[in-house]
Amino acid sequence: MGVAEDLSSLRDEALDSVASANDLTALEAVRVAFLGKRGSLTSVLRGLGALAPQDRPVIGQLANQIREELEKAIATRRDELASQALAARLQAESVDVTLPGRKRSPGKQHLIHQIVDEITAVFVGLGYCVAEGPEVELEYYNFTALNHPPEHPARAATDTFYVRDLSDEASNVPGECDVLLRTHTSPVQVRVMERQAPPIYVLVPGKVYRRDVADPSHLPRFTQIEGLVVDEGITFGDLKGTLEHFVREVFGSTRRVRLRPHFFPFTEPSAEVDVSCGICGGEGCRSCGGEGWLEVLGCGMVDPNVFSYVGIDPERYSGFAFGMGAERIAALKYGVPDLRLLVEGDMRFLRQF
Amino acid sequence: MRVSLKWLKELVDIPVPLEELIDRLDMTGTKVETVHVLGERLDGVLIGQVLTKDKHPHADKLSYCTVDIGADEPLKIVCGATNFKAGDKVPVATVGTILTGGVTIKRAKLRGLESQGMMCSARELGVGGDASGLLILPEDAPVGVPFSEWAGLGDTVLELEITPNRPDCLSMVGVAREAGAVFRTAVRTPEWVLTESGSPVGEAVDVQIEDASLCPRYTARVIRGVTIGPSPDWLAERIVASGARPINNVVDVTNYVMFELGQPLHAFDLATIGTAQGRASIAVRTAKPGERLVTLDGQDRELSAETLVIADPCGPVALAGVMGGAATEVSGRTVDILLEAASFDRVSVSRTSRRLGLISEAALRFERGVDPELARRASDRAAALIAEVAGGRVAPGIVDVYPLPAKPIELTLRVDRMNALLGTTLVEEEVRQILSSLGIDVAGEGSVLTCVVPTFRPDLAREIDLYEEVVRIWGMERVASTLPGGRARVGRLTKEQRVHARIGEALRAAGLNEHIGLAFISLTDLERIGWTFGPGEGPVELLNPMSEEQSHLRTTVLPGLLRAVSHNQRHDVPDVHLYEMGTVFKTAEGRKLPRERGVVGGVLAGSWNRPGWNDPAPALDFFDGKGVLETLFDEIDVTNWKMRAAEHPWLQKGRSADVIVAGDVVGWLGEVAPPVLEAYDVSGAVTVFELDVKPLVKAVATDVRYREVPRFPAVKVDVALVVDDSVTAERVGQAIRSAGGPLLESVRLFDVYRDPEGATVRRVREGAKSLAFSLTYRAADRTLTDDEVRSIHERVVRKVCAAVGAEVRS
Ligand SMILES: [Zn+2]
Repeated sequence: MGVAEDLSSLRDEALDSVASANDLTALEAVRVAFLGKRGSLTSVLRGLGALAPQDRPVIGQLANQIREELEKAIATRRDELASQALAARLQAESVDVTLPGRKRSPGKQHLIHQIVDEITAVFVGLGYCVAEGPEVELEYYNFTALNHPPEHPARAATDTFYVRDLSDEASNVPGECDVLLRTHTSPVQVRVMERQAPPIYVLVPGKVYRRDVADPSHLPRFTQIEGLVVDEGITFGDLKGTLEHFVREVFGSTRRVRLRPHFFPFTEPSAEVDVSCGICGGEGCRSCGGEGWLEVLGCGMVDPNVFSYVGIDPERYSGFAFGMGAERIAALKYGVPDLRLLVEGDMRFLRQF
Repeated sequence: MRVSLKWLKELVDIPVPLEELIDRLDMTGTKVETVHVLGERLDGVLIGQVLTKDKHPHADKLSYCTVDIGADEPLKIVCGATNFKAGDKVPVATVGTILTGGVTIKRAKLRGLESQGMMCSARELGVGGDASGLLILPEDAPVGVPFSEWAGLGDTVLELEITPNRPDCLSMVGVAREAGAVFRTAVRTPEWVLTESGSPVGEAVDVQIEDASLCPRYTARVIRGVTIGPSPDWLAERIVASGARPINNVVDVTNYVMFELGQPLHAFDLATIGTAQGRASIAVRTAKPGERLVTLDGQDRELSAETLVIADPCGPVALAGVMGGAATEVSGRTVDILLEAASFDRVSVSRTSRRLGLISEAALRFERGVDPELARRASDRAAALIAEVAGGRVAPGIVDVYPLPAKPIELTLRVDRMNALLGTTLVEEEVRQILSSLGIDVAGEGSVLTCVVPTFRPDLAREIDLYEEVVRIWGMERVASTLPGGRARVGRLTKEQRVHARIGEALRAAGLNEHIGLAFISLTDLERIGWTFGPGEGPVELLNPMSEEQSHLRTTVLPGLLRAVSHNQRHDVPDVHLYEMGTVFKTAEGRKLPRERGVVGGVLAGSWNRPGWNDPAPALDFFDGKGVLETLFDEIDVTNWKMRAAEHPWLQKGRSADVIVAGDVVGWLGEVAPPVLEAYDVSGAVTVFELDVKPLVKAVATDVRYREVPRFPAVKVDVALVVDDSVTAERVGQAIRSAGGPLLESVRLFDVYRDPEGATVRRVREGAKSLAFSLTYRAADRTLTDDEVRSIHERVVRKVCAAVGAEVRS
């Protein structure tokens, strides 16, 4: 039997082994068996020196061809096996993508403070700063300096919470207590005007108190947002334009605004501000009580009497003020049917917004 | 204020349909709150004819009738009235009708006989005051026709919201004047003819006013020989439309004139007023100590020294401006009337009415202010009407004591200034026209107008008040919208406000939801949680709380948070993660205003999630709360903080800590003590915290600077140290850090091990624990060699062991 025949059967045997290798380990064993340092083909090549010189080139060339062929076959088979293995792994690792994910939900901001922040952003954009003041107030700031006459009904103990005064100071209201829970954020107006000269552009969000039993439309403690502008040349038209801008930003650009003359002790002229109903667009529907309009805030030009309490010259400066309830906006904008939901801390409610 | 449209149209031309009238009134400041259509309720009342009238077999005072109402079968009706006979025509309320006062007519058995409807009196239909018997209709009344249609009852009543500055609009004449100004149409004032006869009033009545400031005017008239009875239908109808109840002709007239002109009046039975020197003697004075009065509603009332009364020589006969007395009331026997038309001090009336809880139409008007100039006109009007509807002769003259005459005031209106304030460009003529239509006399040339304000507009006291009149009648909707120009200004939040917002963001990022509670607590709350105060300090007490549970202002948000947890648990929501940022209050002896403090509190109960297929959802505990605060401090750049074991009555001992920021205690964290949980009806472990906001804001690092991102590799070495149980993790960590020097980049505690209770094989000695740390070494400028790291680490371990008494666990 000639060397050439030996090589040829070696080749067949090797290709068979490559084809039948079922994993990378087996394939490597095949490679070592034929092409390794002591492999069969390597031995043949090593044994070339023993051949007759005239046979050497022919056999050498043949052996090299077989080696190249074998290497190629091994490489191909390796790729095949690798992709099979990967496919198997991916198959094994596949999941039911409809199973729920793993998460820790971030918390939600309270709806009322979302509203406050949204409105604050609108007015900061218009050049306002945010002012704050105490929740327990003096009667002077809450009523007197806001031009409420002594017999004003809001001062009554049926409407306003009064607080025990532990000082020896005489009360500003003879025979009655003059420390109370502020009934609106307006006392902050007075405090701001006392400490700051015009121009004044402030927004005052804060908690206020009224002596109401908690029911679907009342809370004894709720949130007001008040605005105050005092500058030279401020007009009633400026007030209107400001509130229209606010309503468009917060309620949407299609909503209309109307000012209805009204009365507040600390503004003159005063108005209530209605926004067209978002459901019927002003035609009148059940949600707006058939009126087509929803009352959202109160406003007016700062009364000269208020200016005189804080020493601002009403001939030189003019200003406007407006105030609204965040809870009412929550009820109107989000359809919250019962304000008590806002203070219960019910996770199922808080997580909705 | 209820306004009958029929009545209004007699006083002013309304050139527009109802819808537009409502809209224009709304837009000029007289809000229409409700529209009532009268007669609507009488839809089921038909005109019927009594066919037969028999005695009820089982009741003496009842009759049993058949009544034709134009239907196939006559109705069978049981009736208690006696003033009718077979053949009479009467109003019949059929089954289903709802009468004035809310009574629904039903098929009912009366003493064994079925009644299929009800025959009605004038009072029952709300069309008059007579309740003595059935309303007998004329013979020609058409049977079967709806009664309201036949009687022409259809009227529309507008309920107006009158703002407190507009007392003049609490009258038909005032509303008519307003409408006339709005629509620029003619207003007709009521007219009458007063005929006087008999002896002059001055011979019959004498009036003294003690304090003119409490009673600037008091007038009295006398009408003799009246016949008291029900009012005529037209009068009763208007009284009903105005929201009152017809009583008798004289009282109804006084109410009518009040609704018409706005002047409350009172009619006394002249015979019951005590006399002096042969004249009825009226004094307007404050009550004397111990004086009492039985008022019209039958209540015996004790009068305080500040109560203004009308008195005769024997004592008070009426509460001035609020309510009359029972003893001097006009009754069926009254013959001579003393008619009062006066003006009283607003504050005095308001105090009396509030103190006694008596809200009357009269008091309401006096509280807002009644024009003293009205008294005489109103008295004349009422006297003429009484003579008309109740007979009698009006005594010549009027007793008119008027010590403080009201004077119209004069105001200057600068048109330019007005336009500058309103942002309008009105010309003088428009301004003049609007003000005149409101009854204001306008004089002056050019753009400075002199305005004389009538006494019925006490709200117009300053120039600015006139601006408002102009803009509201001209139309606020016509003012062009602008935005303030002004000098450059920048809107921004302060650092404190920005940190405040970041605190909320961080807590939400850590998984907490924001809660806003009511700020009230009770002393029981403070007792339950064991809250204590410094010397002289205490909670802020409300003088007029809504309830015992809300008697004080909160000193901590803790009770509110626990209540929220309880609320959730009661509603089967076990996982509660809340925070609240708000104010807490406390006060001290000598303080007028309490101390207000901003705090942020939080609560964790249950787990982060319900257990899932891939999430075991362990119960939340102290370390979840601590993790929330770690997130918070990290997010708001507070680095100088630590926790120290502490005891608080509301927290479980051994699982509670003080939170220390920049060396000061700023709050606490811990698991709620079991008795407190029980008191708030809460179950399971609940972790809470509360921190003061102010020191947090102060501790926020303002200059966060870049540190180089490492470029060379680090070497990590783990070490487990066995220390006494009393040695805190924080102390060991600090010892490692201080021994590590600049090359020790970070230290992480990754395991705490104690032998389990009763372990047979001890891995660490008794009373000790093993803390395993991972130390990371790195140099900023080169790669550390193994030898270098080994020698640093050995030195670190040696130092730490010496410092905290640790040994390396092998
Ligand atoms: Zn609507």
